[in-house]
Amino acid sequence: MLASGDSAPDFSLPRLDGTDWRLEDAAAGGPLLVTFIETDCPTCRLTVPYLKRLSEALGADGHRVVAVSQDGRRETRALVEAYDVAFPVLLDGELHVSRSYDPPAVPALFLVGEGGRIELSEVGFHKEDLNSVAETMLSSLGLPVQTVAELNDGAPLMKPGCGSRHLEAALTDGGSAESPEPIDLLPERSARASRIELAEHEDPFEYCMKAGFSPFLPVVPPTAQRVEALLAATPHAPDRVIGLVPPCYGPATVEKIAANAVMAGCKPEYMEVVIPVVRAACDERFNLHGVQATTNSATPLIMVSGPAAERLGFASGAGVFGNVARANSTVGRALQLMMANLGGARPGEIDMASLGNPGRFSYCVAENHEQSPWQPLHEELGFAPEDSTVTLFAATGLMEVSEHTARTGAGVLRTIAATLAMVWSWRSCGRVEAVVVVCPEHAATLSADGFRKSDVREFLFEHTGVPLRAYDHQGTEGTQLRELYEEIRIDGEPHYRKFKDPSQIRIIVAGGTAGKFSAVLGSWLAGPKGSQSVTYPIKW
Amino acid sequence: MSTLVNPLDERSRDQQSAAPRLDGLEGKTIALLDISKPRGREFLDRLEQLLKERYAVASVVRETKPTYTKPAPAALLQRLAYVDGVIEALAD
Repeated sequence: MLASGDSAPDFSLPRLDGTDWRLEDAAAGGPLLVTFIETDCPTCRLTVPYLKRLSEALGADGHRVVAVSQDGRRETRALVEAYDVAFPVLLDGELHVSRSYDPPAVPALFLVGEGGRIELSEVGFHKEDLNSVAETMLSSLGLPVQTVAELNDGAPLMKPGCGSRHLEAALTDGGSAESPEPIDLLPERSARASRIELAEHEDPFEYCMKAGFSPFLPVVPPTAQRVEALLAATPHAPDRVIGLVPPCYGPATVEKIAANAVMAGCKPEYMEVVIPVVRAACDERFNLHGVQATTNSATPLIMVSGPAAERLGFASGAGVFGNVARANSTVGRALQLMMANLGGARPGEIDMASLGNPGRFSYCVAENHEQSPWQPLHEELGFAPEDSTVTLFAATGLMEVSEHTARTGAGVLRTIAATLAMVWSWRSCGRVEAVVVVCPEHAATLSADGFRKSDVREFLFEHTGVPLRAYDHQGTEGTQLRELYEEIRIDGEPHYRKFKDPSQIRIIVAGGTAGKFSAVLGSWLAGPKGSQSVTYPIKW
Repeated sequence: MSTLVNPLDERSRDQQSAAPRLDGLEGKTIALLDISKPRGREFLDRLEQLLKERYAVASVVRETKPTYTKPAPAALLQRLAYVDGVIEALAD
């Protein structure tokens, strides 16, 4: 593969419309981005909208973004039409140019700069590279720099591509069978929802249950009029895809989201939160596929942080985990309905949870900023105070921690640590994470003793462990992995450390001002090999 | 009369039938796909031994998923396309 510093070989290829295109002409007077693509490569299809955005940002210089298709005219035209591509798309039917640039995989990006030198050559999808290419191109043309690949737009940060066609042809003798339908990892649009006309005598509530619109509680019938009210509250087109919902990857169009949100009882203004919740649930780091298919009871807990919570009426005080506010109950339920209706995981089918979890009705809380002595969750995660966010965490049930006797912050935390040690399974260490919900009275005690949020996390990390004597019972869960555990001393007694890192303990303040009850919520398998908590800004 | 907006995934689903079953194990190449649960290897070592001793399989191919929480990567599935049969193997 040609590398940066190499000279970009000149070539001519026909555009899709049959006219000739030549590199030397196109690269004159400014930078040129040449991207080799295959029309059925999911990663190439993921990349195309970003190239389109870059081309649009370049304005009159938009033709400096060029794609070289390794496929035939028909497939290439279908791709161009599907994505409404306006930048030049060239046909390398004989793969001559692909052989000369020789990328091992597609998409392959070559940024050609001054003097026809390659300034960047890269394969696969990388948001960071797309943004740095955009920065280079825009600034060299004197245009305002902008981000073309937002980190929280639902697409992964990176994705490897497919083998380049010129290598594939060499391996398969050039013969190719009829290719299957291409897969879009993040399509921009999908079909509109069908309309169902109910007969005069049909009870709409019973119809919804009979038609399988809800596996559990009855729903508000998603009438065209109600759905329209929610659509009118969003700036997006109804057929715009926000994400593909695992594990069956049904497209969550704005219209389908609105229909499910209506069923859950959402007000139109809640769409501002429901849409980023869908983005977060479809983020592959969250691994909703695993969360839905596991026999464990975890389900997404939505934590709302920032000024939008109060503006939209999310409860954060007394009874926060119960049925206390329409916003909490309906937004959490909207997600659960979409997980079944668009994601396809229904109890006992793909959703194989042994016990399930009451959070499956709705699991949505807001942070009690008013009663918190500490920085709110969204600011802790790097967002501005005026921003608002949703954070998803694959949570099991809530374990309440009563501590009405301790007069010191350390005393409160020791009691919480004892509950934290029970998360997942007592003798099992390092596999999971936890959310600690600190109630306002405990937060006040901690703050009065000088504990910052980071001190609380550090204290819990250092004081949460399982005593070694617990491992005398061989053949129980957690004992088989003890060689991986770190031995520490807590109050002089040898323990295994429960968590691998302080960051595995997340802290929010929520609950009413009376009652010294905090809580611990365990996770499903955490980290890149399980489910990672994800945060998305509340914005359209 | 009211009109409802369909809230379900409306894509058509292909019906896939299960792959034909093997008539026996003798002389076959069998893959054991370890899904990466704790101590899976010990369990599968024994299973491999039994497949060879009692069922006279020609060979046993061992593959391991990177994590049991996610679907197997495409490259791994492609490697499994060439064996006669696959046993997806849990352990705990």
